[in-house]
Amino acid sequence: MSGRTLRALAPLVAAVVVAVVPLAVSDRFLLKVFTFAGINALVVIGLALLFGHAGQVSLGHAAFVGIGAYTCAVCTVRLDWPWLLAFAASGALAALGGLVLALPSLRLKGHYLAMATLGFGELMTLAFREAEPITGGVDGFGGIPFPTLGPFEIGGAASLYWLVWATAGLALLAVYNVTSQRPGRAMRALHGSELGAQACGVDIVGVKVRTFVVSALLAGLAGALYASVVGFVSPSVFTLAASITFLAMAVLGGTRSLAGPVAAAVLLTLLQYLDALIPGIPRETAQTIQTYQEDIYGLAIVLVVIFAPGGLASLWRRRTRGGEPS
Amino acid sequence: MILLQVRNVTKRFGGLTAADDVSFDVSEGTIKALIGPNGAGKTTLFNTLTGFDRPDQGSVLFDGVELVGRRPRDTVRAGVARTFQNTQLFDEMTGGENIMVGRQAHLRRGFSAAMLRLPASLAEDREARQEAGRLLRLIGIEEWVDTPAGDLPAGIRRLVEIARALATGPRLLLLDEPAAGLNATEARELVQTLFRVRDVGITVVIVEHHMGLVMDVSDEIVVLDRGSKIAEGPPRMIQKDPAVVAAYLGGETDDDA
Repeated sequence: MSGRTLRALAPLVAAVVVAVVPLAVSDRFLLKVFTFAGINALVVIGLALLFGHAGQVSLGHAAFVGIGAYTCAVCTVRLDWPWLLAFAASGALAALGGLVLALPSLRLKGHYLAMATLGFGELMTLAFREAEPITGGVDGFGGIPFPTLGPFEIGGAASLYWLVWATAGLALLAVYNVTSQRPGRAMRALHGSELGAQACGVDIVGVKVRTFVVSALLAGLAGALYASVVGFVSPSVFTLAASITFLAMAVLGGTRSLAGPVAAAVLLTLLQYLDALIPGIPRETAQTIQTYQEDIYGLAIVLVVIFAPGGLASLWRRRTRGGEPS
Repeated sequence: MILLQVRNVTKRFGGLTAADDVSFDVSEGTIKALIGPNGAGKTTLFNTLTGFDRPDQGSVLFDGVELVGRRPRDTVRAGVARTFQNTQLFDEMTGGENIMVGRQAHLRRGFSAAMLRLPASLAEDREARQEAGRLLRLIGIEEWVDTPAGDLPAGIRRLVEIARALATGPRLLLLDEPAAGLNATEARELVQTLFRVRDVGITVVIVEHHMGLVMDVSDEIVVLDRGSKIAEGPPRMIQKDPAVVAAYLGGETDDDA
């Protein structure tokens, strides 16, 4: 089979493989792990757009996931909204948060966005913990119902998995469409040379702000899915460590790529649950890996930056042809 | 017809006056060169014409429209395109994609249209791709369409940047040292390219140190020295102008231009 046919078929094959996982995996816990991988993938798709295409660094994406999760919790439990409406509101509120953060910080040059997102993330962690009447404080917010689509409740492990991955798949498609057309070219252009992009008439602040808002929106939707799948949210989930994990997935996955970051999101998520995946693995080995999880991510980032600056995607691209986004 | 009127443009950086009360006109359909020793204020002048710098005083009228105070993208929309002394290509993108980015200002469909693959968005993309192909052929670099810009030879990089500037659909093209780093063959090809660009009706202003090239292509020359205009006229007059000779032979030692 030629490289081109392979390339055209790859997304289809990947989609089928992802879709049949629940038919092959009967272990409910394992299926939940794969569901988390899908939620992380959704966040990382947005980060791949922001970091991999527009070259902007966010150290606070967990905060947007948190905004989405708490919005979904409040809307379904307290306000008794239909799930789809709560889901949409979660994305919208996270996007609004992204807009409020991005507008002032992206007008400034340099790494102000990274700094601003870092501060924003810390602030939101604090807010989730302290705004007890709304978020439930350190005790968390429980009793969040399963997603419903009209009259249907999606409560089984397999249906939750499908819901999450269908959302991630749609997001991937939408983001791919963005990267393959005018906005994507504008992002990669301003990443390459802001002067050159300006000389081409690219509205660099506008493109950066829009990109950031889209990535915050996807993080918010991922947060809503997380809240509905787990049924419980607590501030300890939406921390700087989580933000760094998301960024690590995007970096490891590679720039100018979406497939790479999604693959990295799945791999790094599975790494956290190694003992569930490989039944024979000694308990101690699994524990050691989990203890040093953050160090492993850090090391992975360093190795990627030194040996494969383009990430997983570049290894794939090296075998086919350079240039176009994958 | 006068396309560009530069009037009394002054730009200071701290104590340094990079452009000092500079005025000149550019007629439509001509090639005008700005020359002068290093630090004469040529690039500063380019920056004030394209919205990258705001002059402290003066006005820049392009077809009667004031350009001072506009952002770069608005000057692009008005019909003024530029290249840079250090080429500002997007190294990770192919030659073809680089040129497609030049169409940005003319494409109107944004994020949502792209997300949904609306026909209008796809049509715009097709149009941009065709235009990029046309320009690659006009400039004679179509074999580089799929090469990442970072892998292109220096001479081709200059040409891709010119093609990208042309993709913005300019009436006025500003080229900042397009011959820098080119060998003799490439410089000759550049001259042909400039004539071709002028022949499709685009006015060109060029900053250049390569005197042979300047004398070959320009209809008129403006000579700047330490921020001020010291001479203006057709090449043959400039070559004999005593003030120009003094500026080049007297002031400059490290650059034989």
